[in-house]
Amino acid sequence: MTNSNILEIHNLTKYYKGKVEPAVDNLSLNIFKGEIFGLLGPNGAGKTTTISILCSLLKPSSGKIIVAGLDLNHHLNEIKSRIGVVAQDIALYDKLTAYENLYYFGRLYNVDKHTLNHKIDFFLDRLRLKNYKNQKIRNFSGGMKRRINLIAGVLHDPEIIFLDEPTAGIDVQTRSVIRDFLLELKSKDTTLIYTSHLIDDAQKLCDRIGIIDYGKLITIGSPGQLIEEQMDCNSLEDVLLVLTGRNLREE
Amino acid sequence: MRRLIVSIYKEFLLLIRDIEGIALLFLMPITLVIVITLIQDRSFKNVFESKIEVVIIDSDSDSLGFSFRKGIKQSQIFNVTEYISQDSVSLDKARQEVAEGKYQIGIYIPEHTTQKIKAKAIHLVREQLPFSINTDKETAISPAIIILFFDPITKESFKNLAKSKLTEFAAQTETQIIYETYSRVIDALTNQSSQVNYPGEPIIRFDEVMVSEYTSGITPNTVQHNVPAWTIFGMFLICIPIAGNIIKERNDGCLARLKTLPISYLTIITGKLIVFIIICLIQALLIILIGMYLMPLMDMPKLQVTNWLTLFFITLASSFAATGYGIVIGTWASTQTQASIFGSVSTVILAAIGGVWIPVTVMPDVLRSVSEISPMNWSIQGYYSVFLRSVTLIELLPQITKLMIFYACCTLLSLFFRKYQANK
Repeated sequence: MTNSNILEIHNLTKYYKGKVEPAVDNLSLNIFKGEIFGLLGPNGAGKTTTISILCSLLKPSSGKIIVAGLDLNHHLNEIKSRIGVVAQDIALYDKLTAYENLYYFGRLYNVDKHTLNHKIDFFLDRLRLKNYKNQKIRNFSGGMKRRINLIAGVLHDPEIIFLDEPTAGIDVQTRSVIRDFLLELKSKDTTLIYTSHLIDDAQKLCDRIGIIDYGKLITIGSPGQLIEEQMDCNSLEDVLLVLTGRNLREE
Repeated sequence: MRRLIVSIYKEFLLLIRDIEGIALLFLMPITLVIVITLIQDRSFKNVFESKIEVVIIDSDSDSLGFSFRKGIKQSQIFNVTEYISQDSVSLDKARQEVAEGKYQIGIYIPEHTTQKIKAKAIHLVREQLPFSINTDKETAISPAIIILFFDPITKESFKNLAKSKLTEFAAQTETQIIYETYSRVIDALTNQSSQVNYPGEPIIRFDEVMVSEYTSGITPNTVQHNVPAWTIFGMFLICIPIAGNIIKERNDGCLARLKTLPISYLTIITGKLIVFIIICLIQALLIILIGMYLMPLMDMPKLQVTNWLTLFFITLASSFAATGYGIVIGTWASTQTQASIFGSVSTVILAAIGGVWIPVTVMPDVLRSVSEISPMNWSIQGYYSVFLRSVTLIELLPQITKLMIFYACCTLLSLFFRKYQANK
């Protein structure tokens, strides 16, 4: 990890139509190349909205985003080809096989056929799905779908990968495989921006964590730093509860 | 281009793996065209194909009754049953049979009808001459009345047609009698027997010629109407699977993933468009082949195709319009249920006002004006032009242009909906 910025967020604000309160409120943040950055917060804190804006799914109300030195407003297509997105939803075609899904998304990223086939085989093998290459997604378990979903976002060797709850709803074994895989990507200098409700995962994976609530960035630092800064906190979960309170939130 | 090809391939795979969907896409319009054509065959047939069942009670038993019966029999629009009798039993029986629907028309020629007409003719001839002559004994002149009775469910248009034909026979017989009377008067005046017979051939004859050298000469029939009509209906019904495809893609999160990829929405929908247009073309070809080869085996007229090139272009333009319509519904609707209900109901309405069920020409004036806004009407008019008028590609351009403009509007609207949703 270097301390050069790969992503700069300046005064990002997002209002949804018909809402008075902003979902993201004047958020500014720099993310370093090669780090795993965790964005944590309670439900409705603005994590998914922020990620959605960063990967161009939503338009911000105001603010500026610089990705790898390029302004998101002016170089959208170039940025799109340099980022990978692993959404919370399993975004796969259930009537297509694992290979057909990966081939389709890989080709849309302009990866050439030969390289793509090689990568598909490699990643399927790496995530222990080699034997399911030609099976339809509809026959896969939740964990298998999550792994294919992850591969679909990394086939084109993106510089930045946005991961929204990549380990949601899966068993411990699959989570462990996915965690190892993400660390492997990080070792290749890929930047990962990660949101999760699973604090344990975040603590194990992330170099730095930003905690947001009501659309505002409350604090930022390494997991150890954040724990140290808060009196009587022994874990990241304690930190989160202290900073965002114990009240239940609406989505 | 590479992205478009891979999108087409993906859409193709998705489509061929939905066997039930494909079966419906092809079987539904094929079933519709066969069933509806069979049902409409009788009402659509022209008078020469569908005969009117007639019962004649001839109590006259003279030249009028004879020539009337002969004329009706020779006409190809009536199927005649005769009762030559002077008793009222035959009349009552015939009336009952018409009332029960066994016959559509009953014709009663009363006694002495010929004599009455002859007397009337003599009277007319006498009035024309400047001097009086002795001919047959003059009888009281009262009009000859022929009584008609109709099956209560007979349509007014059918009645008028029958009355018009019967009036024609009556006029012929009347003219013949007057002619013969004049002949007899002239014979009486000249003391000669001219032996001139009434010429059976009419003095005026109607010849039908084609309005242009390109006119096909094929008459409209149930197949010429129903094959294009239900082909168009089937094409537009494709809006439901297209919309379903778009909504599923959106609900599954695949569309969101695609939005994060360096591919335009236009490329994504063009991929869908091409695959579904190919489906529309195959669908149309199947129905046309059914019209050409299967319909004749079912005792229906054969679909006659005179120009495959113009047929291809009107089918292609209709496919664009239908697919564009599906894309706009898919982009606008948020659930499969919304898309299915709106898609099917709107297709049925567009079909009804567009002249799919019944030709626009038999619609009331208001509906005829409304039909102008239905893309199905533009399409069906295009097909009529191809099948019945044998138009050239240039002459077909107005319909093709309208359909392509409709497609362009649908695409723009779907881009607008997409932008609107993204800005929510």
